[in-house]
Amino acid sequence: MRVAATIADEHAWVSGVLGAPVAAAQWRVWLYPAAEIVLGCSQRALHEEVARRAPPGVPVSVRPSGGGAVLAGPWMVGASVVLPPGHRLLAGGLVASYRWLGELHAQLMQEAGVDAREVVPQPAGSQAAADPVRWACFGSLSPWEVTDAAGRKLTGLAQQRRRGGVAFSAGTLVSRPDWRVLCEALGAPADAARLERMTAACDEAPGASGIDALEWAARIDRALRIALG
Amino acid sequence: MTAITLDDAVWKDVEEGTEALVDRWLVAEGEPVRAGQPLVSVVLVKTTFEVTAPADGVLERILVAAGETFARGAPIGTLRESR
Repeated sequence: MRVAATIADEHAWVSGVLGAPVAAAQWRVWLYPAAEIVLGCSQRALHEEVARRAPPGVPVSVRPSGGGAVLAGPWMVGASVVLPPGHRLLAGGLVASYRWLGELHAQLMQEAGVDAREVVPQPAGSQAAADPVRWACFGSLSPWEVTDAAGRKLTGLAQQRRRGGVAFSAGTLVSRPDWRVLCEALGAPADAARLERMTAACDEAPGASGIDALEWAARIDRALRIALG
Repeated sequence: MTAITLDDAVWKDVEEGTEALVDRWLVAEGEPVRAGQPLVSVVLVKTTFEVTAPADGVLERILVAAGETFARGAPIGTLRESR
């Protein structure tokens, strides 16, 4: 298990694994010692202006996968999982392929006392979160991401598909970030209060308040070892 | 001329009406390509795909530019196959 990393380390690992045909499932769990802003690939054009507005010492990067901007840091635990094409966990379609990873995270949280649940796909048109903050990963919900009982997001998911393999990424809020850092860098300071309302953190559950990021990382690593081993 | 599309299989369980986004073209119009070469990166349901060339040839036209969206089955470019 990787215990400390930068986003660049994470992306380099995924890119390296996907750079050749993937023969077997591989994973890493990531802790982020310092704040970093990560834009989704379709936000690439914003990179320069976000970097200009970001606080000194907060790097800004673009990830290869889709979705909105993320504020990584000590409040978040990340997981990367790379599977070979045709792996059993990819069966059932694109949306369905997210299910196992969402369920894995939700189950771990439930075991720790967090009232977590996966976002089950709903009939067309009924899935959208009320008043989403679309530019932020944690500002909207996609199928099989994880929320608390009030529908506040706890884990975001994304994926990259290449001919040689499929890479999943997950980010879980262990504690609350300062959303103002992200919103101000994205030029949307007014969205900070909405992101605050739309998100939760594992340490807000009474049973999980004493579980730190390192322990969450160890639990996710163990669960992935069982799921993929 | 061969249409370049996002494999229909990936739309299988995607909510009807959802569109994919062209993230960026990796090849310019008029550039020769080889079968299997990644041509364009697209995003669907927070998932990034590389759409590859179905055959050797030349990327003739880009029909959906970076930053634009497209529906299931829509061609996003055309390939003129080598003879």
